[in-house]
Amino acid sequence: MDVWQQFIILLEGVPLTLSISIFSFLIGIVVGLPLAFIRVYEKEISFVVDAYEKIFRGVPEIVLLLLFFFGLRPFFPFPFGNAFFVACFVLGLRSAANQSQIYRGAIRGVGDEQMIAGMSVGFSKWRAIWYIMIPQVFNFSTSGLGSEYALLIKDSAYVYVIGLAEVMTRSLQLAKSGPGDYVTPFVLGAAIYIALTFPFAFWLDKWGNKRKKKIGL
Amino acid sequence: MADFVMEARNVYKTYSIKKIKKGDAACNVPVKHQVEAVKNVSLQIRKGDIKLIFGPSGSGKSTFLRCMAMLDIPDKGEIYLGDECLTAPGADLNKARARIGFVFQHIYLFRHLTALGNVELALRQVLKLPKEEARKRALDALNEVKVSDCINKYPAQMSGGQAQRVGIARAIARNPDIILLDEPTSALDPELTGEVIDTLRDLAKEGTTMLIVSHEMPFAREVAEEMIFYDEGKVVETGPPSLFFNAPNTDRAKQFMTRIINRTTRE
Amino acid sequence: MLEFLFNPMHQGWIVQGLFLTVEITLFGVLLGLGLGTLLAIGDIYGKKPVKAAIAVYVEIFRGSPLFVQLFLAVYTVPTILNLQIDHAILAFLVFGLNSAGYQKGYVKGAMETILDDQMQAGLSTGMSKIQTLRYVILPQAYRIVIPSWTNEFCSLTKSTATLGYLGFMDLVGAGLAIKGSNYEILPVWIVIGAIYFVWITGFAKIMDVIYEKKRIPGVELAMQS
Ligand SMILES: Nc1ncnc2c1ncn2[C@@H]1O[C@H](COP(=O)(O)OP(=O)(O)OP(=O)(O)O)[C@@H](O)[C@H]1O
Ligand SMILES: [Mg+2]
Repeated sequence: MDVWQQFIILLEGVPLTLSISIFSFLIGIVVGLPLAFIRVYEKEISFVVDAYEKIFRGVPEIVLLLLFFFGLRPFFPFPFGNAFFVACFVLGLRSAANQSQIYRGAIRGVGDEQMIAGMSVGFSKWRAIWYIMIPQVFNFSTSGLGSEYALLIKDSAYVYVIGLAEVMTRSLQLAKSGPGDYVTPFVLGAAIYIALTFPFAFWLDKWGNKRKKKIGL
Repeated sequence: MADFVMEARNVYKTYSIKKIKKGDAACNVPVKHQVEAVKNVSLQIRKGDIKLIFGPSGSGKSTFLRCMAMLDIPDKGEIYLGDECLTAPGADLNKARARIGFVFQHIYLFRHLTALGNVELALRQVLKLPKEEARKRALDALNEVKVSDCINKYPAQMSGGQAQRVGIARAIARNPDIILLDEPTSALDPELTGEVIDTLRDLAKEGTTMLIVSHEMPFAREVAEEMIFYDEGKVVETGPPSLFFNAPNTDRAKQFMTRIINRTTRE
Repeated sequence: MLEFLFNPMHQGWIVQGLFLTVEITLFGVLLGLGLGTLLAIGDIYGKKPVKAAIAVYVEIFRGSPLFVQLFLAVYTVPTILNLQIDHAILAFLVFGLNSAGYQKGYVKGAMETILDDQMQAGLSTGMSKIQTLRYVILPQAYRIVIPSWTNEFCSLTKSTATLGYLGFMDLVGAGLAIKGSNYEILPVWIVIGAIYFVWITGFAKIMDVIYEKKRIPGVELAMQS
């Protein structure tokens, strides 16, 4: 098989790599934002968020993937029988733990005055968060989110262990099926990952700086 | 034996900074901007001399002092320490700096070391003194500037005046040939200024060779053999204190002296 | 359900696995610190080509998954060099090189916050640039870097979980081996996960204590990560 053919086979894994990363990223936003606000503004229950973050900081993604896929599949074939679901579920919740920390920094960046100003015009706490804080929080988290996204692209390679045919899995299959050429598939695979991670983080950081300038920061 | 402890001959230093010209957002053109901080400055210091440089803010006094210690490399001109030309290629600058004490405008103590550690470090690493001797000399130096009570404090735990005196102890502990002091009191309030000035007065009495940038006029009058008025990167006028306090020759110096004396008397 | 925990052979695998995981992470993270420091210094003081080379290095190691880097090293380096190299050594090198890519950023960031004034102060006392780096800049930078370094330790430990899939007997490798013996698999992964959790969280806690102890009075954490 020539290099070009191998490259095509690997490229066919890109949509899967990207969709796992993007879905996980979105789950991370939806779960991570409330976690961050609970941590900052609901002091009584913030220990729950703390424990949540610690668990995902302390248990490897691979173990979680194995646990939810092979461990829970016998008991709950739906939804844990679906490898794609498990991939997004695990990586998404892990990302939520990271994103919660990123947003927490951003909330500090936006500042308490904004929150107080929001409540002074009659919003309840959570309505002030929704209308005043959340729109601004993203301006302060672009560089963190950029690296989080790159991290997800790279971590999506772990789903090899539950058998999804994304870029990493395909590299390995090519390496094992080929006539002993291990170098090409992995070098091509690495190059694809670098190409996927590089521009996005860069672009997001630029966008963030532009936004900040626009609102005079 | 050279005549001078230290000498600067026709020293020049220019900084070029890239500035973003602020105008309409469409044309944010970076403009090369030149600051001539030192223009053809010469100076000689003999053993035991105390010379004082003064002049407006931003005129390049700090830059000139940094050039003397080769903490900034001059663009042109020569710096001599005794017979040795520091601006010559291949000069051993570290060895030279070990013979020059430097006190910074903004103090610059090593933040992770106590007062004692700050003074000891160079004695151990540069002079390679054995532990006990380095400690003894460091303690002597700290004693001399009267901060023995904070030897175990970290910079952030000292008052500005104490910190600056530790800075002076760090500079004198090596028994340098000369001490360069860059506005040692400008970051301090009047009371703390007094403490530091007292320390400098003691050093002056012992015959320490010093080049000081300062605007403490009563102190200048008392200890300086020569005052140097510095403006826009140049030495404008030089003379004994009596000259400046009575009738400076240049209008620029006259203006500046009037302003500064008014300010001091008002305080 | 937890029968495997009482089987001496399986106990042995788990202990062996934990040992390998701990060993390889600690070595990797220390190699990363040393190399990362050199890269940071090179990036600050180096000439253009040096800086460019460092940028490429960092992009390669940070831009691609560690999983891929590991496979690449273990499968290809021995064939290319035509040498029999212990896979554990290769893995250790990959972790160190990879970690250096991240740690360079932390160390450089910390150095930049202290470099301006402290370098001048060091030079003014007659110390050389290298002496000042050694005795003034790095001791401060390393203290500032501890929290980021702890995070790096956590994520590096987690990525060593890939080793089991390269045939190593690390914790995941132990889990995979036990799985072969027909147990219910859920408890095995729960136990393995718990061991990781205790080790990582415990170590992070110790580092937090060290950070508080070593903290320079009055110097605030410069980089909130
Ligand atoms: N590292 C540098 N890079 C660029 N420009 C500099 C640098 N250091 C000083 N300058 C510029 O050189 C000029 C002289 O600065 P310098 O600090 O020597 O003045 P000064 O007389 O000591 O002022 P002050 O009394 O406020 O301390 C200033 O315009 C300053 O902006
Ligand atoms: Mg100055």
